[in-house]
Amino acid sequence: MIVADELEAIEPLWKSGLEAAYSAFREATAGLEAQRADKVALAAALVEVALDLQRLGRSAPPAADLLRGDLCLARASRLLADTRDQRLQVSFARAIEEQSAAAAAQLSARPTRDRLLQAIADAR
Amino acid sequence: MIASDRIRISTQRPTEFVDLTSRLQRAVEKAGLQDGRIHLQSLHTTLGLTVNENEQLLLADLEALLKRLAPDEATYLHDDFSLRSNAPDNEPVNGHAHARNLLLQPSLTVLVEGGELLLGSWQAIFAVELDGPRTREIALQLEGSFGRQPVNGPRRLIELELERQLHPDPASVGDPMRRLVEAGGKRIRPYLALLTSRLGPEHDPLRAATLAAAVELIHAATLVHDDYVDESPRRRGRPTVAAAEGPARAVAVGDYYFAKATRLIAELGNADVTSTIAMAMEAICRSQIDDLELRGRYPGDEEAYLRVVRGKTAALIAASCAAGAQLSGASPEVLERVRRYGEAIGIAFQMTDDVVDFSERSGKPLGQDIRERVLSLPLIYAIENAEVGAEIEGLLVGELPDEQLRLVVELVDRSGALERVNRQAQDLVQLAIRELDGVDLDGVKSTLVEIAESVVDRHA
Repeated sequence: MIVADELEAIEPLWKSGLEAAYSAFREATAGLEAQRADKVALAAALVEVALDLQRLGRSAPPAADLLRGDLCLARASRLLADTRDQRLQVSFARAIEEQSAAAAAQLSARPTRDRLLQAIADAR
Repeated sequence: MIASDRIRISTQRPTEFVDLTSRLQRAVEKAGLQDGRIHLQSLHTTLGLTVNENEQLLLADLEALLKRLAPDEATYLHDDFSLRSNAPDNEPVNGHAHARNLLLQPSLTVLVEGGELLLGSWQAIFAVELDGPRTREIALQLEGSFGRQPVNGPRRLIELELERQLHPDPASVGDPMRRLVEAGGKRIRPYLALLTSRLGPEHDPLRAATLAAAVELIHAATLVHDDYVDESPRRRGRPTVAAAEGPARAVAVGDYYFAKATRLIAELGNADVTSTIAMAMEAICRSQIDDLELRGRYPGDEEAYLRVVRGKTAALIAASCAAGAQLSGASPEVLERVRRYGEAIGIAFQMTDDVVDFSERSGKPLGQDIRERVLSLPLIYAIENAEVGAEIEGLLVGELPDEQLRLVVELVDRSGALERVNRQAQDLVQLAIRELDGVDLDGVKSTLVEIAESVVDRHA
């Protein structure tokens, strides 16, 4: 239910990677209260899809993909704000900072999913 | 040394006394003039200048005097177009206004001492509209000794906090962002956050400074991505991050500072502030997608324009006001009032920006928004105009060489759309100021009013 409400303007992404990412993160958040688990898993999936859509560390994306990626990041941020869990918010933000700083310096970074799973684990 | 500036006003009535004193004082402060003179010159033949007392009944007396000396109903040869060989088609009937202007002055000089206008207790400086409503312009020249810009506490705090936050960042992202931040910017969002952070009992200047820096970094991050989307080569007189560093790095720099700003706000530990800013970021990103899609149906309509502007510009300004108040534990009523104030000035800010795009002296290439197919309210209104709308629509099809672009600008000007947008922006500023009435704003009301007025008092 939460997921359906949060796809406005990014519906096509659901079938092209977001659903699979959400399922993977949902397993990692299984220990959380159900509604919070949904939000955290979706936030993580949105971050992963956003950074992929924006081709972080690769060639620049088309303008529309950059903006859709920005919307995914912003929505993830708002979902985390909804959880009112400061540790998760900080941990996710640090993960994105690390990935983007590495990309800007053309350095290799850990896979985004690993980094986000670590962020979820750190925040527990 | 001489500095120049302009004041733009939109009058609402046929005859109107507009008090310019506070705006002139701001111009003195902005230029850093310590001791010298400020010269004002009306750029119109039916707009005069004078110094007098700002007392409403006196102003009514002066208006009545002007009408007695040069009545509307008297005969003026200037108004008999059959006698004039070169009267333009849209020439107004305004002989009375020209005659009244004989009683006023086209220019004024006021002394400045110690960075302050030298005025007696009851003296105020007026522009006197004699043929309104219209949009008017007054030229300023300031001469004398210019000291350092007066140190303005809150603004200095913002700069120091931005410096502090950028200092530890990796060079790959920090250097491009530092260049963008150091190139200037109005800092309206952080300034509002700092001001409203004084409205509650838990005021903490250092936490407020962190919030202020974070909202400015969010704004800067959106500019970095916007410039890539718009393919803009320059921003604030310097190459954009995308132009200087390449688009791939620009994407990473924007993402880094979105995330860093989010973290700084989360670390403040106020869940309401975190939610307010997160919702604003979502609104910005949503409207940027709308904006891009609307370029395919350029120039769009008023409803679409307002939807985009609410998200793209007003959301973060309103959120800055609200978040500052939330951080300090201000009452729900104060919070809601400053949020609505922020939304109104945010929309007015964008409308004024649109009008500035049609000015030769804006500092940007004339009509850049039109060339880049950026939503523009004056253009939307001009297309609604029966006389010029079809011609403009025709010109907008396909490429816009300089000559055609200049013609579009002229047609928009002729349609009266610029005045209409200016009036709407002025109305929004008045609406914003009314939001501040009747609530305890702990000494920041006058500054919030000044900021609101300055939003529509921009030439460039």
